[in-house]
Amino acid sequence: PVSTLAMPSYKLSEFDTRGLAEVSRQLFILSGTPYEDNRISKDQWPALKEKYGFGELPVLEVDGKQIPQSLAIARYLAKEFGFYGANAFEAAWIDALADQAKDFISDIHPYFAIAMGMVAGDTDKAKAEIALPAIKKHFDLFEKVAKDNGSNSHFVGSNFSYFDILISEFVFSIDSFLPGSFDAFPTVLAVRAKVTSIPAIKEWIEKRPKTVT
Amino acid sequence: YLSLSNMPNYKLTYFEARGFAEVSRQLFHLSGTPYVDNRIQRERWGEFKSMTPFEKVPVLEIDGKVLPQSFAIARYIAREFGFAGRSNLEAAWIDAYADQFKDYLEYIRPFFKVAIGASQGDFEQLKKEFAEPNRDKFFGFLEKLAKDNGLNGHFVGDSLTWFDLLIADHILTMENFVPGFLDAFPAVLETREKIVNTPKLKEWIEKRP
Repeated sequence: PVSTLAMPSYKLSEFDTRGLAEVSRQLFILSGTPYEDNRISKDQWPALKEKYGFGELPVLEVDGKQIPQSLAIARYLAKEFGFYGANAFEAAWIDALADQAKDFISDIHPYFAIAMGMVAGDTDKAKAEIALPAIKKHFDLFEKVAKDNGSNSHFVGSNFSYFDILISEFVFSIDSFLPGSFDAFPTVLAVRAKVTSIPAIKEWIEKRPKTVT
Repeated sequence: YLSLSNMPNYKLTYFEARGFAEVSRQLFHLSGTPYVDNRIQRERWGEFKSMTPFEKVPVLEIDGKVLPQSFAIARYIAREFGFAGRSNLEAAWIDAYADQFKDYLEYIRPFFKVAIGASQGDFEQLKKEFAEPNRDKFFGFLEKLAKDNGLNGHFVGDSLTWFDLLIADHILTMENFVPGFLDAFPAVLETREKIVNTPKLKEWIEKRP
């Protein structure tokens, strides 16, 4: 077992959602690293906001030093714990895919704003005009990447990366709103199946707080 | 042609512009690494588009293997040549600020598109509505960062990083559209001055297309 004396103390602060912090939670779990899963309620947030550099969540504290921005956090942990490809080129591809995934979030976000009642709009119209085209555009690409990687249940290389976990969570979240949206992307679904079959992840998914996103 | 070293062959493809490729070009120059600065005319983009993994440029070819996404490219080259901070923690801060910068670019986009002539619109109104408040927020963070870092000529750590280059280049772009755009951020401007006076960088800036 790894000595806990040498290990930094980790505290991950986020609202009570899976969101873009979930990939980092799963990196802690996969690596068997203790961390504080600090969930902040919407009521508490106004008073706490100025404690955090950018006034946004999630934020990771490493021995009290703050790292903001969800992908910077995920990349940091992936590097620390070995979920960042086997070499610099693989790492760069994982990063490139993560940036593409961020574009996907921007593209599909207006659908979620309507579907979750945050913004007025016709959910069915938003599904047809916003969500489904965004899924097709980005997941055609992710499906190709997974196939070109040898359909080995990873997007890059031959081991789990933070991008495998990120997509696995996206699929879960979106599928809960739009069942069957990923049926056209079997190689992507195979990555998700592999991630969720890891015993520690399976266990976490069963016991984690159940949230809409 | 016999390679004189084990160095890979690098080819960076982008439009005839600084844009999202300039930081990577600067990293090659700063490290003294030969590379092909492949500039394509926008009118010819249709020919190349489907040959790129994400239908976007820049792309970097490393011995023929293609890498897309400007930040992934910049980070890759920065790591290879020592411009990504001195520790994993510094690298993470650079990544965090770079992503925050990307968010800021998204927020100012309605103004930016008009400023570069890609859309029609009211320059002054868009500047007030989108450029100024978002500038105040993001450059407010950078002003504090530069000061907290000791006004040592870098935003993070004590050596030149790809984030320094990213910001210095953006300031140039914004000052072209709005002279004095960052006058309220003296620590940022002081840091920028030191960055662009780095000898190899100064040389590139003077001679680049």
